[in-house]
Amino acid sequence: MSLKLRNNQVKSSETRAICGLERLWGTSPLKSHYDVVLIGGGIHGLATAYYLAKEHGIKDVAVLERRYIGYGGSGRNTAIVRANQRTQENVKLYDEGLKLWPKLIDELDFNLMFFNCGNLNLAHSEAAVSAFRLAVSTANFCNVQSELLDPQQCKELVPALDISDRPYHPIHGGMYHGPGGIVRHDAVVWGLAKGAFKHGAHIHQGVEVLGIDTDGQKITGVQTNRGSISCNRLAVMAGGYSASVCEMVGMELPVHPLTIQAMVTQPLKPFLHHVVSSGAYHCYANQTLKGEVATGAHMDPQVNYSTTPTAWYMKHQAEALCEFLPCLKGVKFMRIWAGLADMTPDMAPIMDGNVMYDGLFIDVGWGYFGFKSGPITGKYMAEFIADDEAPDILKPFALNRFLENRYMGETAGATNYGHWN
Amino acid sequence: MSFTITCPICGERDVYEFHFGGRDRGPPPSHDNLTIEEYLRYAQFRTTRTEAQLEWWFHSNGCGSWFTTWRNPANNREEKPQEMSNDQQ
Repeated sequence: MSLKLRNNQVKSSETRAICGLERLWGTSPLKSHYDVVLIGGGIHGLATAYYLAKEHGIKDVAVLERRYIGYGGSGRNTAIVRANQRTQENVKLYDEGLKLWPKLIDELDFNLMFFNCGNLNLAHSEAAVSAFRLAVSTANFCNVQSELLDPQQCKELVPALDISDRPYHPIHGGMYHGPGGIVRHDAVVWGLAKGAFKHGAHIHQGVEVLGIDTDGQKITGVQTNRGSISCNRLAVMAGGYSASVCEMVGMELPVHPLTIQAMVTQPLKPFLHHVVSSGAYHCYANQTLKGEVATGAHMDPQVNYSTTPTAWYMKHQAEALCEFLPCLKGVKFMRIWAGLADMTPDMAPIMDGNVMYDGLFIDVGWGYFGFKSGPITGKYMAEFIADDEAPDILKPFALNRFLENRYMGETAGATNYGHWN
Repeated sequence: MSFTITCPICGERDVYEFHFGGRDRGPPPSHDNLTIEEYLRYAQFRTTRTEAQLEWWFHSNGCGSWFTTWRNPANNREEKPQEMSNDQQ
């Protein structure tokens, strides 16, 4: 009886809010027309919807997600954020993205668990130290904190590192990027969905886009498994599946979908206080706030749409980790998963608008960097869609660069593991 | 995911023994009157569909031969396209 009474009390919305039982976002009726339709319910799509509704007054927005929001890369990445890319255009964008996290936490009134623990990249050769020197200069030129360390300084930051001559690839130095760190990726998806819904955007899960309608030079709508939806503007933000979506209008992209794998160990006492990454071992690792060591990096080189991990890679990862963090020997892996990375030839994303058709926007080719940049990209893509003109910061990322022989040079980045590994 | 590729010499082997050589796209375009844009489009732009495609593979950790085989990137099975397997029957 008393339990019944308590349930009745919980019915008042005020009590629900206090108890934290309010739904973060709700369901909306699927309308037959929207001003803007965004394909893909990941961080990019949700962030764009959020900023369109909040900052540009465009509230007639729908996010269409085939599965559930955060099913794809948004929920499969290793949640690392940083701004120490190779080229100035990229550093500028990622740096703004990095500074956006604390503001976003306030704005969304939702804890994204931003932990700016810093990123330590390890160099295992003199060539890698030289590459770090270039990267540090670029970062410092763009007013981003980044410094070169010798092996002893690396050891002071991460005492568990083996800086002796024992590993196959001994540590020659490091690059430390203090402002970087980790953010909880699920929370980002939920927080942005909450914000987008609150400002009037519709989030439709289980709605799969099957075709795109055009009329002459204009986008007119999409065909879905729940009927056709007309729209004035359409944006493709479908991560690894973007190229398949763009093919619906006959648009070919320089994008290769590759499987990238990651895994976590059993929870351990805190011992690793920074993100550590190593190019020579194709491996990065950080200890989550739960104590698990989240680690990944390997990409299977053949194009494919599979998200199944492999035993071969788990063995590789265990060997690589134990080389530079020997204290992890004997620790068990708990979970392993995989996601899709849509790689471009220069390892930089493609953001463009009114491409091929009026009203068609693309935000694709993010490879394995789509998480760090999600909210800031959403902010600028929203501006792009609202004003119908590319913001200056996005102009270098136009699709045309591949037809004008202007690569962005991110493949040479010291923090990238070669040309698609 | 892990799968097998059939080498014409060594037979069915683990995919990690091979080096992926990309989709077979026929001969490169003729250099006569070829514009830079056409060439760059040929070199970089391609769509990976969820259907069987003819690919180049190199048995790098094996016999060292280059060969082509059909594979479906959706499920990583070596299978020929529907119309080709119908022809054979």
